[in-house]
Amino acid sequence: MSLTMADVEVDSPETLKDALQMLNKTRYKVIAGGTDVLIRMRASPVTDERLLNIYSLDELRYIRSVGDRIRIGALTCIADISSSPEVRRFGLPLAQAGDEFGSMQLANKATIGGNLANASPSGDCIPPLYSLDAKLTLASVRGEREVPVKDFFKGYKQLDLRPNELLKEISFRKMTKEEHGLYLRHTLRFGEAISVVGVSMCLRSGASPKRFVAARIALGAVAPTVVRATRSEKIVTQGPLDEARIRAASQAVTESISPITDVRGTEEYRREMAVNLTYRGLREILAKKEGGR
Amino acid sequence: MKRERYPSPDHRLRHSIKIARDVPKPSILKLRRYSFKLNGKPVVVQAPPAYNLLETLRNVAGLTGTKNGCSEGECGACTVLMNGRAVHSCLTIMEQVRGADVVTIEGLASDPDSQALLRHFAEEGAVQCGYCTPGVVMASKALLDRNPRPSLEETKDALRGNLCRCTGYSKIVKAVMEGGA
Repeated sequence: MSLTMADVEVDSPETLKDALQMLNKTRYKVIAGGTDVLIRMRASPVTDERLLNIYSLDELRYIRSVGDRIRIGALTCIADISSSPEVRRFGLPLAQAGDEFGSMQLANKATIGGNLANASPSGDCIPPLYSLDAKLTLASVRGEREVPVKDFFKGYKQLDLRPNELLKEISFRKMTKEEHGLYLRHTLRFGEAISVVGVSMCLRSGASPKRFVAARIALGAVAPTVVRATRSEKIVTQGPLDEARIRAASQAVTESISPITDVRGTEEYRREMAVNLTYRGLREILAKKEGGR
Repeated sequence: MKRERYPSPDHRLRHSIKIARDVPKPSILKLRRYSFKLNGKPVVVQAPPAYNLLETLRNVAGLTGTKNGCSEGECGACTVLMNGRAVHSCLTIMEQVRGADVVTIEGLASDPDSQALLRHFAEEGAVQCGYCTPGVVMASKALLDRNPRPSLEETKDALRGNLCRCTGYSKIVKAVMEGGA
């Protein structure tokens, strides 16, 4: 039992293999960048938790372009993601989430894996990964398994992650020239602030003007987990994306979300901002298609 | 010619060790040894594993230039460079520092490449109460190391994680935009 942070036990494996073996034997709280874990622990340091510090596992720091997929190691920091030309070209929503993630100091330390495993509904990397239909690789001593990002989040702060598993890699299919995507978030101030609402979308352009044949729209911070706005996606793909359809699709996000009132905004405010951000996002994507990019 | 303005690091170190004696020392039972590079020199310090770099710098190494503002990564006062990048020392535990290259505000005083930045802060009057200043200077140093002549937008962007309640930022931004040389 620890009483202050000075009493907390920390183990730091040197390889992923060691980390998985330690995790298999002992119950740990995993710490990557630490920008969420330490704040929470310091608020209530009286704990039985031992920390498994995986920050030094450099083998999990990479951004690779493999075939038609981008593969990102779980310990890749947010600054490296937003400055990666490959992520910007093939997974723009994720790069944009990196741009708005927080201060340079946070982006240099915080990791994409940590942002997912912390399981906050307002984690900025999560909606982009929903809209990119990403897959997560989970590793344990028994081997690896892959889960779609939308199945990884089972409920508020509930993950499909066994106590002996580590999130190892995040991968997604590269966006093609026909696909347009973005991430928009609303915060109470620019820079360091937790999202009040975040919207990410990825739409595949059709042959005729204003037509989109596929859509993935995901919203953060407006439900216990990030959610897909399935009704809006359907409306977007049913006909030309004119002003009336954009309005209808934006309004329809309210069917998918269940926001709460907290210090950053009321339920009603979040609902309205979710509609507004979706509207803005769809307008911007239509402009991209019409601008020939 | 400006040298007198900045006391030597040795003088500063002696002074700060005196201050640090009054601070409660961490639990002796769980001390571990950490080797890393601090301001260009290899050091070994003893600290508990989950003790953060900020507390270790201030209470163990006696380097009190790095300030504790919010303790939760909001204010930027505790910014140091770790392996060349600006990070919050309050959100970095000692187990993450092993083998790293850490530079604090004390390290800039004796670094010839940082003199211009320090001079611009002094000459612009970019300091009022001074509490945020070490963090702001370290974040600026990280910016200027990769971009010696940043634009207004780039400067504001790099300093968005550093809160200053006195200056209104304009003199800070001006000092940084004058560049690292």
